[in-house]
Amino acid sequence: MRRLLAGMVAVAVAGSLAACGTSSDSSGSGDSGGVDNVKVGVIPIVDVAPIYLGQQKGFFKNRNIELTMEAGQGGAAIVPGVVSGQFQFGFSNFTSLMIAQTKNVPIKAVAAGVASTGEQGKDFGAVVVKADSPIKTAADLVGKKVSVNTLKNIGDTVTRESVRKAGGDGANVNFVEMPFPNMQAALEKGDIDAAWVVEPQLSTIKAAGGREVASTFVDAADDLTVAAYFASTKLIADDPDLVKRFTEAINESLAYADAHPDEVRTTLSSYTKIDAALGAKLVLPKWPTQINEPSVEKLATLGATDGIFSGNPDLEKLLP
Amino acid sequence: MTSVRRRNPARSGSPALLGAAGLAGLLLIIELLPRLGLVDDRYLPPTSRIAAALADETGSPQFWTSLGDTLIAWALGLAIAVSAGVLAGILIGSVPVLRELTASTVEFLRPIPSVALIPLAVLLYGTDIGSTLMLVCYAAFWQVFVQVLYGVADVDPVAYETARSFRFSAWARIRHVLWPTALPYVFTGIRLAASVALVLAITAELVIGAPGLGKEIAVAQASEAVPTMYALIVVTGILGVLINLLARTGERRLLAWHQSVRGEVTA
Repeated sequence: MRRLLAGMVAVAVAGSLAACGTSSDSSGSGDSGGVDNVKVGVIPIVDVAPIYLGQQKGFFKNRNIELTMEAGQGGAAIVPGVVSGQFQFGFSNFTSLMIAQTKNVPIKAVAAGVASTGEQGKDFGAVVVKADSPIKTAADLVGKKVSVNTLKNIGDTVTRESVRKAGGDGANVNFVEMPFPNMQAALEKGDIDAAWVVEPQLSTIKAAGGREVASTFVDAADDLTVAAYFASTKLIADDPDLVKRFTEAINESLAYADAHPDEVRTTLSSYTKIDAALGAKLVLPKWPTQINEPSVEKLATLGATDGIFSGNPDLEKLLP
Repeated sequence: MTSVRRRNPARSGSPALLGAAGLAGLLLIIELLPRLGLVDDRYLPPTSRIAAALADETGSPQFWTSLGDTLIAWALGLAIAVSAGVLAGILIGSVPVLRELTASTVEFLRPIPSVALIPLAVLLYGTDIGSTLMLVCYAAFWQVFVQVLYGVADVDPVAYETARSFRFSAWARIRHVLWPTALPYVFTGIRLAASVALVLAITAELVIGAPGLGKEIAVAQASEAVPTMYALIVVTGILGVLINLLARTGERRLLAWHQSVRGEVTA
């Protein structure tokens, strides 16, 4: 008995030592036979489909990059993860990147990520209401309760712009924070008056009779570049060749995804649990390989107007 | 008299049966609620649809990898927490000065919810298993540690002093006097820690996105795959039951000689 317990403790201690061992050598990108192991921090949603598709197509392998996706819940872990070197690259929306930039976090975009379709009523993000809601246009959102996934981020700033464009007071909207998957129930229960959602929730809510009142990304800027792939300035300085190869591979992936929507829809099932029926009717975003700089400048102006940043973001430092 | 005698064997055989009946009742209620329109089936699908989604899930390799990841994080975290809890508990518990020195610190640290450490875990370990382990170890450690402290305090001072006057070495005193007394407390601690470790492992995966069942639940949520989400939640529930059964059985086997367990069996 006693020996058994001693054995258990010994195993446990050995286990903890082993855990220390693996956790310390799993991070960082080691050169193993000329192939770079690259970890990318992503959010497992429709927006990052190109990188999964590009991985399947071998666009990264062709450039000696062995890709691992670290799919965190929400983007909060991605910027710190990239800065601390746990991920070599990350995917994040531009408002988050600019917030980080105004706090002097050493990061820089290396490639475009995802862009608005630019078409009213046919974009991948929008403000929706219940079918019988008295809210008809974005101007009616003034004084109402609108849900966003993160307060003081891209969701509220683009929604405020939609309200302003429709002639309302953008400053006077009450935003509440909740995860996207909870929004439909909250909307139907009447806990919120409107919800700012992206795909796949947007299609689900519309299919259940929800009505779109504003295509917020379209209102915010022409062909808004919503998100980008980025790296730490340290990695960009230390390993410019890796960054160059990654950027080439991601650009090839973006272009391929943009040209092959059917393959994108199939790819979704490899890293999300979106069912085939829902996947077939989603509004896919655009994946241009160029960051639309005027649209990012507009987003920066909006963020400054809405008090999301503590200063003006330095786009010179942030954009590639 | 006869009625009492008849009730006893029935009692000892029925908990499993009653438990199963209770579970069947729950499944039936979940089947009926959405079918009767009492809750919206988009938010709570009936049992049969959850079961179908579960069957689908068990066919995918990703599910088994995630199950493995969760179990590894649980087992590893529990092992670290138990060994650290036992060692620290014996050391601090048997040295009165240390005990008084740490008492307020322990009372300060113990109620801090493990999930409050998520930002720290993410900074240190990113979305690795390391984050999960940190949360699991923190939560499970206190369960064991505090039980061991109680166990050490429960040692008969006469027996301890007798051992001392017989010039038992410190190690022999721990082995022959302290350890046998503390053992039932240790096992209680392990049993509590085993459940807490599972809860925290799933939570860490759910919130941080570390690999495992919790992350699959989060992905199912984000994908609007409601039946799949419930199917995965059912799996975590089953895991909880199994882990509790395992801990209880292990405790009963390993402590069969101890009066706390012998007493439990005869009662």
